[in-house]
Amino acid sequence: MSTAVAPPPAATPEAPPAIEPAPFKPKRKRPSTGLIFACTFLFLLVFMAVFADYLGFIRYPDEKVLVDGKAGRYKLGPGWDAWFGTDGLSHDVFASCIYGARVTLQIGLFATAFGIVVGGFLGVLAGYFRKTTDRVVSIITDCLLAMPALLLAMILVSRLDDVRNDVTWLDWFSRKWQLVFTLGLLAVAPLARIVRAQTMSLREREFVLAARSLGAKPGRVILREILPNLIPAILTVAFTGLSIIIAAEGALAFLGLGVEIGTPTWGKLINDNRNQIDVAWWATFFPCLMLFLTVVSFNVIGDRLSRRFDIRQAGV
Amino acid sequence: MSTRIQASSRDLEGPLLELTDVSTHFRTPRGLVRAVDGVSFTLERGKALGIVGESGSGKTILSRSIMGLLPPRGTVRGGSIKFEGREIGNLDRKAMRGVWGKEMAMIFQDPMTSLNPVMKIGKQIAEPLQIHLGMNKQLAWATAERLLQDVRIPEAKRRLDQYPHEMSGGMRQRVMIAIALACGPTALFADEPTTALDVTVQAQILDLLGEQRRDRNMSLILVTHDLGVVAGHTDEIAVMYGGKLVEKASTKGLFANMKMPYTEALLQSIPKLDDPSHTRLNAIAGRPPDLVNPPKGCRFAPRCPYASDKCINEEPPLVPTAEDPNHLYACWYPVGSPEYHEAKRRIAERTDDLATTTAAL
Amino acid sequence: MRYFLQRLLQFSIVFFIVTFAVMILMRLGLNAPGDPARTLLGGTADQALIDETTAKYRLDSNLFVQYFFWLKGMLTGDMGYSVPNSISVAAYIQTRAMTTILLGLYATFFAVLISVPLAVHQAYKRDSMFDKVGSGLSFVFVSVPAIVLAPILTIVLINETEISFGDYVLTIGGWFPRVGDKIYPWEDLWAHIENFFVPTLVLTLPLAAIYTRLLRGDMVQTLQADFVTLASAKGVSPRRVLWVHALRNSLFSFVTSIGTQLGAIVGGAIVVEQFFDLDGMGSMLVGAILSKDLFTVQSTAAILVACVVVVNLIVDLMYAVIDPRIRHMRALA
Repeated sequence: MSTAVAPPPAATPEAPPAIEPAPFKPKRKRPSTGLIFACTFLFLLVFMAVFADYLGFIRYPDEKVLVDGKAGRYKLGPGWDAWFGTDGLSHDVFASCIYGARVTLQIGLFATAFGIVVGGFLGVLAGYFRKTTDRVVSIITDCLLAMPALLLAMILVSRLDDVRNDVTWLDWFSRKWQLVFTLGLLAVAPLARIVRAQTMSLREREFVLAARSLGAKPGRVILREILPNLIPAILTVAFTGLSIIIAAEGALAFLGLGVEIGTPTWGKLINDNRNQIDVAWWATFFPCLMLFLTVVSFNVIGDRLSRRFDIRQAGV
Repeated sequence: MSTRIQASSRDLEGPLLELTDVSTHFRTPRGLVRAVDGVSFTLERGKALGIVGESGSGKTILSRSIMGLLPPRGTVRGGSIKFEGREIGNLDRKAMRGVWGKEMAMIFQDPMTSLNPVMKIGKQIAEPLQIHLGMNKQLAWATAERLLQDVRIPEAKRRLDQYPHEMSGGMRQRVMIAIALACGPTALFADEPTTALDVTVQAQILDLLGEQRRDRNMSLILVTHDLGVVAGHTDEIAVMYGGKLVEKASTKGLFANMKMPYTEALLQSIPKLDDPSHTRLNAIAGRPPDLVNPPKGCRFAPRCPYASDKCINEEPPLVPTAEDPNHLYACWYPVGSPEYHEAKRRIAERTDDLATTTAAL
Repeated sequence: MRYFLQRLLQFSIVFFIVTFAVMILMRLGLNAPGDPARTLLGGTADQALIDETTAKYRLDSNLFVQYFFWLKGMLTGDMGYSVPNSISVAAYIQTRAMTTILLGLYATFFAVLISVPLAVHQAYKRDSMFDKVGSGLSFVFVSVPAIVLAPILTIVLINETEISFGDYVLTIGGWFPRVGDKIYPWEDLWAHIENFFVPTLVLTLPLAAIYTRLLRGDMVQTLQADFVTLASAKGVSPRRVLWVHALRNSLFSFVTSIGTQLGAIVGGAIVVEQFFDLDGMGSMLVGAILSKDLFTVQSTAAILVACVVVVNLIVDLMYAVIDPRIRHMRALA
């Protein structure tokens, strides 16, 4: 929320009156606590996820935690062996979370990138060339948006496996990449929309008209004039979109359509342990928490960015 | 014949409005903005007062202060405002609500944004009638129809069911006037009522206001930056600058015998229809003062062509003229005084010099 | 009227494309003749049955033919057959639809009920503590996906959870022990509430948060408009100004989001039903997708898409109802 006191609102149209003479230094707003927290959390998470193998205090996720022999559901607290406790297979929940973060973040990043590239491409085409191109792209986005997203994702992911088995050269198309493709596809529509809107307004700005009047070909104009100016909008939607994608990945993993067995992700952990909630609530709680904090953090950043760049995006 | 619904009056004798050292300051991150700084005057019943000044002079804020339509937070009010002998300057919005619409009404500058776009015109007019005068829906709408006729909108009945976007700017302004007049207020504040309108429509609106005022024996306060607007339609004029009242006189008296150089400059800046084409506009050089740190002397001094050291250092008090005790002005060297002529001569010399030098080149 | 038809056409095109795509997707990787039937019936079914099924549903003709016959079936009420479950799709849906419909309706209803007064009051007391806290909460709940909220609420509300700090044990929850029984309101109201409360809550909270944010934003903007000041200056009470004058002008984003959030609601319902073991269309779909039950998926997806499309169309038409200017524009178009 804004930390500056608002000047008298528009009920009194003459305030503030012409104030040129006195120099006005706007106070530098220090970033809000939310933003600091979000960035710190994400930084730590990414750091631990990337360097998990080298960090001593993070066990391997399939390592069994031993407390007086094999302890299946162990309590955290006294006995600081497992920070988040252990789950049904004596695995360290904390370690699972960190390794899970790896996969999730990877998928999220790539999916968003995919969405940006494809969605941005479509959006720019629609916004710049308008008329028929716009119509076509609009129909595509409408179709993508007509289906409930999770439903589409489920269908895609479950079927892509068969496709992969059928087509020999698609061997690399592991679940992970299937997820990237699916989730990226879901991100295409909102991105295309925003990019289209921005492109349409940028197109009419003077510098674009100037370039065009000099005879620049559309490709050049787009590349040099429009694209650079799309970056703020894209960045904003990217962060918010990332949070949604990560949430979606969690949901898919929960439903059993996540990454292959062996690699834990938060959604999977939640699913695996949810029947044990009454006995070992921490096995479900902490993956939940991690998921939540990650999603919120990305959301916070996306929100701050959108305020900074003044992008309105109702219902992304 | 217009609809007369007079609200019951209180103090029938005495002035309608009495302002004593009224000030309105706003707390902002930059400091305290002294939008209105110590204004005093009285207004008699049934008279029309014009408040004139540039943007930033505080005129709009003054009118809103009198009505009490100020933002609740960050506002500091001072001085006394008496309406029909009752002190209203210290009342909060809740208390004022009984007064608004019923005894004091305001019309705003831009009729397009001042009317609710999704509500029928009839309903917007009927609303205050139902709230203040307790009319039932039927009576209220019938009254609304008559009000529309009063403000000279043709086909009033049909118009009741229309929406603002279906009307022209002039008509919307008339609707606003109808809304304002609905409960028969004793004072009507018109805040730049014609600025957003075409010139031809302006005259009609002003005439309409004048006519309604006379019919209802209502006081009118006309806030504008345009001296031409107040010239034919007011009994008195108050000139504001930098949050202060700098001159006040009867309309005739002001134009005949203006004292403040600012008023003179305002008058001279009005482009005249019969000036030869390409005549330079006499804009007043410079900008309105910073109301957080106003100049310590006369507020107009930085821009006054006749300013002297005294003007810059000492603030002139508001004093009556010799000829007419009701004509007040605040200036050390008003128009017509020997110092004024002296300064004028010096300026003329300088311009002459400039002219001869440029001619010689 | 012309406008309405235009939109209808647009939405029809989208509907056809999407349902066709679903069909293609479900048939992906099943290329050899007889494959779809084999998939439906299971690997051990004998050839005769496979051939019969293939012929019956024309599973060997090209895709367009298949689509056409399926569509024809849909219009006549024959939504295909769910072979793994040995029940016609229509009947299958019937047993499951109520739960999901109830969930969706409850969620939307309560979300609107909560969000509107909240947002109006927030806009009125802008920047107050109420507003700030409200906005913070809204933000949090907007980012909480169903998979997170469901377990958390389960821990907190449903199961008796013991948290021990050293020797001290804190027990919370246990208030809604029976979740997941399919009990309808007309059977046993109290049990119904007990069963549906937490799942509904999981869906309602994020939805309410989204609605609140949008509505507050628009209200704050509207409240700065001149006509609001004028209304106050007429002597209208603040409550009336807020609810009668300002609100009606601020509904645009809010109403739009009711349409756009529908897809999210469905997604949330799927997760919620799975988590709480509710027998609704969501869990039905999950099962169908995983077991490659072609017809169920196709028909149900089609229904869902149609619903979303219809709702969006209604929302679009609602704009004209709310705002007479749009009514005007459309009449002229």
